[in-house]
Amino acid sequence: MGNFLKSTKCKIILFILALLTGVMVYALSVGGYTIRTVDIFKTLTAPFQRASSAIAQRVEYTLDVYRDAEKNYEDNRAVRREVARLNKALADYDRTRSRLEELEAFVGIKEADFDLTLSSPCKVVGYVANDPFGSFMIDRGTKDGLSLWDPIVTELGLVGVISEIGEENATVTTILSPDLSIAAYCGTTRDVGILTGSVALAMDGTCKLQYLDKETLLEDGKVIMTSGENGLFPRGYVIGYVRSVQPDDSGMTAYAVIEPAEDLLHLDMVAAITGFTGKEVETP
Amino acid sequence: MTVNSKVSGGRYVALQVVKWILFALLLAVCFLVQTAGSTVKPLLLIPAALCIAAHTGEIPAMAVGVISGLLLDLACGKLLGYNAIWLVVCCVTVSLLHSYLLQEKLVNMILLCAVCTAVQGYLDYVFYYAIWGYEDVSLVYRHVMLPSGIMTMVALLPIYLLVRSIARRCASRRTHELEKTIVRDP
Repeated sequence: MGNFLKSTKCKIILFILALLTGVMVYALSVGGYTIRTVDIFKTLTAPFQRASSAIAQRVEYTLDVYRDAEKNYEDNRAVRREVARLNKALADYDRTRSRLEELEAFVGIKEADFDLTLSSPCKVVGYVANDPFGSFMIDRGTKDGLSLWDPIVTELGLVGVISEIGEENATVTTILSPDLSIAAYCGTTRDVGILTGSVALAMDGTCKLQYLDKETLLEDGKVIMTSGENGLFPRGYVIGYVRSVQPDDSGMTAYAVIEPAEDLLHLDMVAAITGFTGKEVETP
Repeated sequence: MTVNSKVSGGRYVALQVVKWILFALLLAVCFLVQTAGSTVKPLLLIPAALCIAAHTGEIPAMAVGVISGLLLDLACGKLLGYNAIWLVVCCVTVSLLHSYLLQEKLVNMILLCAVCTAVQGYLDYVFYYAIWGYEDVSLVYRHVMLPSGIMTMVALLPIYLLVRSIARRCASRRTHELEKTIVRDP
């Protein structure tokens, strides 16, 4: 063993360790941008990763069907009741909307457009292994017009933001992560707060809307949307639904547990919002 | 005599090529399994790299450590080189221990893999979660790292048997004879 420490082999190994340290420091210095070689490697492995992810998702789905059969049955009943309630609300909404249109025409108000530019659909290549916050990789990057911190969405709601990007790939941090803070509000009660993730809630697939007034009117099922305050997210994009409201530890404010509108751990296709009215580039 | 030694040398080279292709395939499969699905998974690249390192010299072990470590960084979304440095240290240590001190036995590999996985998990926990001051950060350890570590140790057994089988089948006749001599007369 003593001979090894004096040998050329040992010097080669030390050189490689120094080189890896250099690579690590360089990767750290480029911030949220992927090194080109890594980007090429990710592109080459993407089809295989997609195939393995598809198989894994199929297996998870099959297991879930059998494991959660009773829960799914109960959920189904609850959803039917919710659909009936929403249909009733929709009828009211239609009446209110037609009245509003009449009034707008009468007063001459023209509402500002909900102006969004969406990227072409991005395929989810795979999830980051053992990330409790469900970060995932997509098969599009700067070459496709995406930028760092672009919001990632599906037709159901906000998913997260691009936190690392290369020419042909990007990594998305989801709204379950405590690293993200998003200004959000409830369209009906007008409560505003900051949406962020927490370790405990991420285990349950939820996040929280904090700094709410302790007398908040929020209740279960209310829709939470982006408020677009800091110019990082468009205003009025659905984030999720209130599951419960609780006072925080200090007792000065309250927080709401939010269930994301989209199932963040079983995504297949997403899109990036590459442009919207009032967009400003900053770190969320 | 010359012809025989040439045939034997050619066969040895062919066996080595086959062995390294199989090892490369094993690492590729481990990488793909690690990136599949969103549930907690074992870090298969760690036992695979250590088992391969136990059957090779220091320099090939280092190369295996670099490749597996970089793949682990990509699969886990970590800083490039972060896991690679640790796996190079582990693989070279495992190779040296098997060359000078340890016999090639499952119990030795279980101990080495447990130490390597535990330290990797602890470093991950400290640098990626604990130092950022997240609330209830111990839940990450209990719900993600501990189950993943246990699964990694369980996965060690089939990987160990597979790597040992590949290494033995692809070893030269001379290596087999030497191994038999060592077993007979330790």
